[in-house]
Amino acid sequence: MRDVAIVGAGSTQFGRSQWSLLKLMCEASNEALGDASLGDRRIDAVYVANMGSVRNNRQAGLASALVDRLNVFPAAAETIENGPASGASAVKHGVQAVASGMCDLVLVCGGERMQEVNAFESTEFVSYLSHRYAEYVYGVTLPALAGLFARLYMERHGIRPEHLAMVAIKNHANGARNPRAHLQTPVTMEGILTGPDAFMNNPFIADPLRFFDCCPVSDGASAVLLAPAEMAGELARTPVRVAGIGQATDCQAVHERPDPAELPAVRLAAQRAFAMAGIEPSGVDVAELHDAFTILEIAESEEAGFFGRGEAAGALERGETRIDGRLPINPSGGLKARGHPVGNTGVSQIVELVRQLRGEAGNYQVPGDPRHGFALNFGGFGNNVLATVLERGV
Amino acid sequence: MAGTVDAARCRSCGRLSYPTHFYCPACHCRDFDPVPIEGEGTLLTWTRVYALPLDYAQLYLTLGIVELDMGVRAMGRLDIDEPVTGARVRATVGVVREIGGREVEGLVFGTA
Ligand SMILES: [Zn+2]
Repeated sequence: MRDVAIVGAGSTQFGRSQWSLLKLMCEASNEALGDASLGDRRIDAVYVANMGSVRNNRQAGLASALVDRLNVFPAAAETIENGPASGASAVKHGVQAVASGMCDLVLVCGGERMQEVNAFESTEFVSYLSHRYAEYVYGVTLPALAGLFARLYMERHGIRPEHLAMVAIKNHANGARNPRAHLQTPVTMEGILTGPDAFMNNPFIADPLRFFDCCPVSDGASAVLLAPAEMAGELARTPVRVAGIGQATDCQAVHERPDPAELPAVRLAAQRAFAMAGIEPSGVDVAELHDAFTILEIAESEEAGFFGRGEAAGALERGETRIDGRLPINPSGGLKARGHPVGNTGVSQIVELVRQLRGEAGNYQVPGDPRHGFALNFGGFGNNVLATVLERGV
Repeated sequence: MAGTVDAARCRSCGRLSYPTHFYCPACHCRDFDPVPIEGEGTLLTWTRVYALPLDYAQLYLTLGIVELDMGVRAMGRLDIDEPVTGARVRATVGVVREIGGREVEGLVFGTA
């Protein structure tokens, strides 16, 4: 296997976009391609990550359409649907294609445009991830699964609503420093939890989770350009090596897992990524976790090994996961504030880490020249999870 | 009128599974006998969800995961005003959703 490096990265603004899905993906791809010194080299393959284009945008065969708009014929092209983990899956497939020697230059683009359907329809289409007969028929949605998980996890590990709010407050503060974030408005403990208007501002969505515990529904696209590490020096000023990738699956019906309060696929995916990269969780300098719900940032940070079980709450209290903390988590604002264009998100996380490792994250740059980044992309409700470890340099 | 919601008992190793799988999760055999989910159990966790998908007229749904005494867990609708984790509940079957104009039955848990 060859080492693989990221030699270009780009993304659009996140939020509600006037652009079509393909326009979003073209703009992100254009930025990633322009970011690398390609010369007249040709793209060998395009992998596209998306979850809902057939239902929401009446567009199938997205990767073929992107090749057409970008004029990169006759590049190979595949669209990858792996739920909310589509993004990291597409990156993984791109990495495998380069590592195997079958391809040299691979463009990976994740895009999602949700606003063509209303809130009920977008909740409905994401709920197709649930088990058809044991969950979906009850009106189970992703917020419902998160609420069920949150109550269990909070009761067992002494997590209080204040801790969930601390995640939201941190990630909104980070989003306010990221010019491409969907939500750039800071929130306060008083405003969302303890003040007189807090519960009007922050009603229950899936008790015990409130509005500010849930990510927004966003449009957006991101892209990375992959190349063999031995070519990376000619293509990029600061290449970033894909040091490790891990993936694991779990029961589809959340209730059937041996312990529904645990996320073993997160643990396994992270362990595999760390093993491949040859580093420990303590070697990570910056992490982008899948905080579709605040409780997930807490649980994932423990399952991935950054904190012992039940210790993430204390770390939050001490500010250890802020941009200037010991382990900055979601400096981009995370899904909570940067936004969550579902099938895109895993690619966005990688792009954000590339910016951090190159020292190009501007107002939300993590101090201290971070060298190792970690991304966790959580599919379904934890039944298909990918972890990626990136390292500055090749 | 109400039917049953069935778990599956493996004919080879006796393992009870819900939902059903193509292969037994314990022994990989693929012959099962249906076992209706019934009786009492303990409420493991619950949520009242206001983010509802299509086709729901109500403001919220109350959903829970129940650890049944018969040896499986199951998700279901809670017909309980003030749920508390650890509460004893009883399984019944009722209409839980209309999909494409067709009523779908599922588990409804009430106070035992
Ligand atoms: Zn068996």
